[in-house]
Amino acid sequence: MRADAQVLKGHLDTLLLASLEGGPRHGYAVKEALRAGSDARFDLPTGTIYPALRRLEAAGLVSGTWAEAGGRRRRMYELTPSGRRRLAGDRAAWRDFASAVTALLEPAR
Amino acid sequence: MSALIDDYLAGLRRRLPAPVAEEAAAGLLETYEHHLGTGAGDQEAARAAVAEFGDLEMVAGEFTRQAPGRHAARLLLATGPVAGSCWAAAMIGGRAWTWPVPATARLVFAGVLLLAILALLVAATSRHSYQRTRLALLASPVLLALDMTAITAALLAAPALTWTLRAAVAVSVGRIALNACTLPRLTTR
Repeated sequence: MRADAQVLKGHLDTLLLASLEGGPRHGYAVKEALRAGSDARFDLPTGTIYPALRRLEAAGLVSGTWAEAGGRRRRMYELTPSGRRRLAGDRAAWRDFASAVTALLEPAR
Repeated sequence: MSALIDDYLAGLRRRLPAPVAEEAAAGLLETYEHHLGTGAGDQEAARAAVAEFGDLEMVAGEFTRQAPGRHAARLLLATGPVAGSCWAAAMIGGRAWTWPVPATARLVFAGVLLLAILALLVAATSRHSYQRTRLALLASPVLLALDMTAITAALLAAPALTWTLRAAVAVSVGRIALNACTLPRLTTR
């Protein structure tokens, strides 16, 4: 994690869920989506993505399945219906929070 | 494949249970293949993959800290003060020492409860050993059986169903339900 470590810590689950919103991905693609989507600010050690995905899977928010690709097994992760509901809730909460902070930090002149 | 990757995979397999190590290994191989795909040589790709994946101890520790067994153990331990207080109030109020329960049965119950709590404490506080978090898999059904035993014994032996006893039974029923929900996740992980 190169930057914004503390900020990212509280939002990692939501960001991982968001990275899977477009469809199933393997772990490395999730990591790359976070890095590319944050303009390289959120560059997690790849090895920390898998425990987090595993925890989301245990919580029923993500489902993981093994798939065969190029002669090698890959674990593919996708959102479950409950993961989609959680993401929608987190997104709404974040918008409310962000607009409140913006209103305080950048009051209309 | 590079010896560096082989060593890292062997390290993962030593520190993590097979299904977890397999998942982490697939991730490292994806990272390695990504670097090979950028045109890096075998050694260069292996070094870059291992550096990007993260320090072995840190990765194994992260899996341990997020292990379902550790989470379940913390959840069950959190119910301890409430369940303990409710049962203590019910037993003191109902003069449990006069109930027709053999002394040996009381001692065995207390001993097994103590062992279950110790196992949950070890699982809940493990930071580097994934195997220790799996103690929750042993302690969880034991705690479930203890709750069922306590409810059955109290309902059979207590002379009256006081409100404190009802509260203690309700808390234990709640914990049985919690245990029943978390246990299947522990057995598959």
